[in-house]
Amino acid sequence: MREEHGNVGPVMISKGEDPGDVRTDVPYQLITILSNLYPWMTDGKKIAVVTRKCDEKALAEFFKRGYFARDRVIQIGLACNREQIRQCRCSDPVPSVVDIGEPHGGLDTDALSEKLMAMSSEERLRFWEYQFRKCNKCFACTTNCPVCFCDECVLEERTFVPERGVPPGMSFHMIRAYHLSDKCIECGECERSCPAGIPLLTLRKLVARDFKEMYGFSPGDEKTVSPLLTTLEGESLDGDECDEC
Amino acid sequence: MEMNAMNVKHVLTTCPYCGTGCNFYLQVVEDKLISVVPCKTDEISRGQLCIKGYNAHAFVQHPDRLKTPLAREHGELRQISWEDALDRLAKEIRRIKEKYGPDSIAFLASAKCTNEENYLFQKLARAVVHTNNVDHCARLCHASTVTGLLYSFGSGAMTNTIPEFGDADFILITGSNTLEAHPIIGSHMLRALDKGAKIVVVDPRDTPLSRLAHIRLSQKPGSDIAWINGMIKVIIDEGLVNEEFVRTRTSEFDKLKEVVMGYTLEMVESIAGVKGKDLSKAARLYAKADRAMVAYAMGVTQHSNGTDIVMALANLAMVTGHLGKESTGLNPLRGQCNVQGSCDSGGLPNLFPGYQRVDDEQVRAKFEQAWGVELPEKPGLTLTCAIKEAALGKLKAMIVFGENVMLSDPDLTHVEEALKELELLAVVDIFPTETTKLAHIVLPAACYAEKDGTFTNTDRAVRLLRKAVDPPGEAMPDWKIACELAKRLGAKGFDFSSPAEIMDEMAKVTPIYGGIDHGRIDRELIRWPCPTKEHKGTRILHAQKFTKGLGTFAPVHHSPPAESPSEEYPFILTTGRNLFQYHTGTMTRRSPKLEREAPEPYAEVNNGDAKRLGISEGDRIMVSSKRGSITLLARVTERIIPGSVFIPFHYAEAAANRLTNAALDPVSKIPELKVCAARIQKG
Repeated sequence: MREEHGNVGPVMISKGEDPGDVRTDVPYQLITILSNLYPWMTDGKKIAVVTRKCDEKALAEFFKRGYFARDRVIQIGLACNREQIRQCRCSDPVPSVVDIGEPHGGLDTDALSEKLMAMSSEERLRFWEYQFRKCNKCFACTTNCPVCFCDECVLEERTFVPERGVPPGMSFHMIRAYHLSDKCIECGECERSCPAGIPLLTLRKLVARDFKEMYGFSPGDEKTVSPLLTTLEGESLDGDECDEC
Repeated sequence: MEMNAMNVKHVLTTCPYCGTGCNFYLQVVEDKLISVVPCKTDEISRGQLCIKGYNAHAFVQHPDRLKTPLAREHGELRQISWEDALDRLAKEIRRIKEKYGPDSIAFLASAKCTNEENYLFQKLARAVVHTNNVDHCARLCHASTVTGLLYSFGSGAMTNTIPEFGDADFILITGSNTLEAHPIIGSHMLRALDKGAKIVVVDPRDTPLSRLAHIRLSQKPGSDIAWINGMIKVIIDEGLVNEEFVRTRTSEFDKLKEVVMGYTLEMVESIAGVKGKDLSKAARLYAKADRAMVAYAMGVTQHSNGTDIVMALANLAMVTGHLGKESTGLNPLRGQCNVQGSCDSGGLPNLFPGYQRVDDEQVRAKFEQAWGVELPEKPGLTLTCAIKEAALGKLKAMIVFGENVMLSDPDLTHVEEALKELELLAVVDIFPTETTKLAHIVLPAACYAEKDGTFTNTDRAVRLLRKAVDPPGEAMPDWKIACELAKRLGAKGFDFSSPAEIMDEMAKVTPIYGGIDHGRIDRELIRWPCPTKEHKGTRILHAQKFTKGLGTFAPVHHSPPAESPSEEYPFILTTGRNLFQYHTGTMTRRSPKLEREAPEPYAEVNNGDAKRLGISEGDRIMVSSKRGSITLLARVTERIIPGSVFIPFHYAEAAANRLTNAALDPVSKIPELKVCAARIQKG
């Protein structure tokens, strides 16, 4: 990021080019920005990107699916500061290699998650209904998400999310929540960019918690395969033959 | 140094849609716009955008863009060179001026062009052609705000700033579908709501924001003064008037009191259909709040008594003293990227830049000296009156910079007849439009992403546009077109090499912009008034005293709309926007993700009315008024009060403005786009 025009924004420079007034304290989602640019970068050259721990995990999801060539991306590890960790209620803020910043430990809990889990399911539903009623269908949560990388977005189809409708309804948020269950790396960009102030990161954390409990899987590791991607190879059916046909 | 092989740029600029003025980065690869990235450190947008903002790159490099000048020959528009086009245009302007006089020519400035360009358009009209006939589409949106608030306060702009909504503890919103028309202003309101602020929405339609409000009042379209006066009466009756504020800061309170005392809750309910209990509750909440803001938009202004309604709201704010402090005030939400700025820059027939009157001798002398020419003193024609004069054959030429009057103006059949009467219609635009179809000369312009300049947003912040890509084909920025035309008309004082230079000249003659220059606003967010280079700009207007000194209470009475429902036309038609489209759709309908969300014209019909008429969701219906008929899909909903029908005005294939009434507010000449009588038929 660079400070320019009294603001801080993303910048991409070439080797040897003066980066100007560099800033690393404003949380731009650089992996999303890179994924916009990547299809245009046909020259095969390498790209270095400043990566927080969550960005590192996002890149792992890209590499795993073959969307980025691993050997083209160089990571410059950025340790988040305490304020950033607090804002993201982040439990895992230190990148594997710290090139910039001082490493600080993560936080164990998200106060809102705890509060919600202590509610009755009716109260919880009311809470989310109020939150989703504020939604103005800007698609910021998908546009800025580093791991929203489907070619066709299910939220742009009309099967579950009718056109025109504002707010778009519960299904919009539920589809998104489940759709990202094996990808979300909890960078918090959806929450930061939501004009309605919907606590989307907490929603993500709650789904991630369930997913970990049920499948023992957390996204962001290049080596582990999502439990949602199953094959039928090598699995015995234990003699449960189908009698229907 | 190795060259940047890919040439990637992130260019910070200002959104071309509503008047919120969000800044964002255009992501550019090799002169192609590929995406929009929100700017996280921008005070106004805070790294958040609406769906239109995220798609603001999508139309820029669309193949439909106008790329060469065109001239009508044997009925067809044909490509010609810039030299030829500008020569022909200058020659025609000269011929018409000589034959019929300068006031037979009118210029339309543009709320989509920059301050610098609007400054040049009005200078071109006044100093070169010698007419004050210069106006623009502000006439159709907030003309009544300018006249009304100039009378009440002395300044016709938002009194406070957008971020302050987030810290209010009470917000009254009327005639504004804020979440759809100004989504990021709406997001600041939602921030207040989350923190516990009370929100009251007064609107005949159910909107995304009214569904979240604590109190929702659905008034009959055209009954605003009744409920506003009723609210003031409650405040007076219950001893909630801010006596000190009224005594020290205002005048004419007694006259107001006399008028509003007639507006009993029963009377208000009979006129406006608003329940007295709810109205009293809203009045109490407003009067007692510490930080209470009022926001309004077209639902207030687009009436044949729009000026009166605006002054009624000003009365309400002054009675409670919710003015001149943080998170208070009366806040007209302006709807276009630079509609505030195009007014500031003098794109108005009676006002020079900075709201200085053309009929004020001293002011005129100042401009005559600055521009080195004699200037006309008679105020010019408004846009709405110019159309009427054209139809009568009195106006002979219109030069239109970036407006699509053939879709945006009321009673299009009449507009079309009027434009066809003109001997010269020249249109400068970025796309072919319903208006260019009638033009004799069409000139291709650069759009917001292709030029430098400034937009002034609705909270008076002067924000830079920074060029991200080259314009397509031979298209040129409007400021260059204006300079080239002026030179061909023999004018001096149009030798500008950049918009920054134009702003320097404008700042010299415009006191509220006196301290503005491109160098400063490249780094700082400055809101006018900013009289000197040392001045930091002004966040809150009327802090110690009103711009005019004492605020003036205007005693105003309810009067019915120009057209009331009849046996033949039993419905009230009201028009407006939706979230996904913008104005006449020239940009949004060419942005695939926006068009996908709202691809077809529709009319919202109350479910009870629909049942009675045998209309179901998705049926084709014909909506008619005295002026015309359109056919479109019915959207059956409980979200509009019985007896009313709502049609968005974005769609040329079923143009709502075929139906609307061109009845004008006598003071501001704004047309009554919000109310006309209509009939609905199935099929």
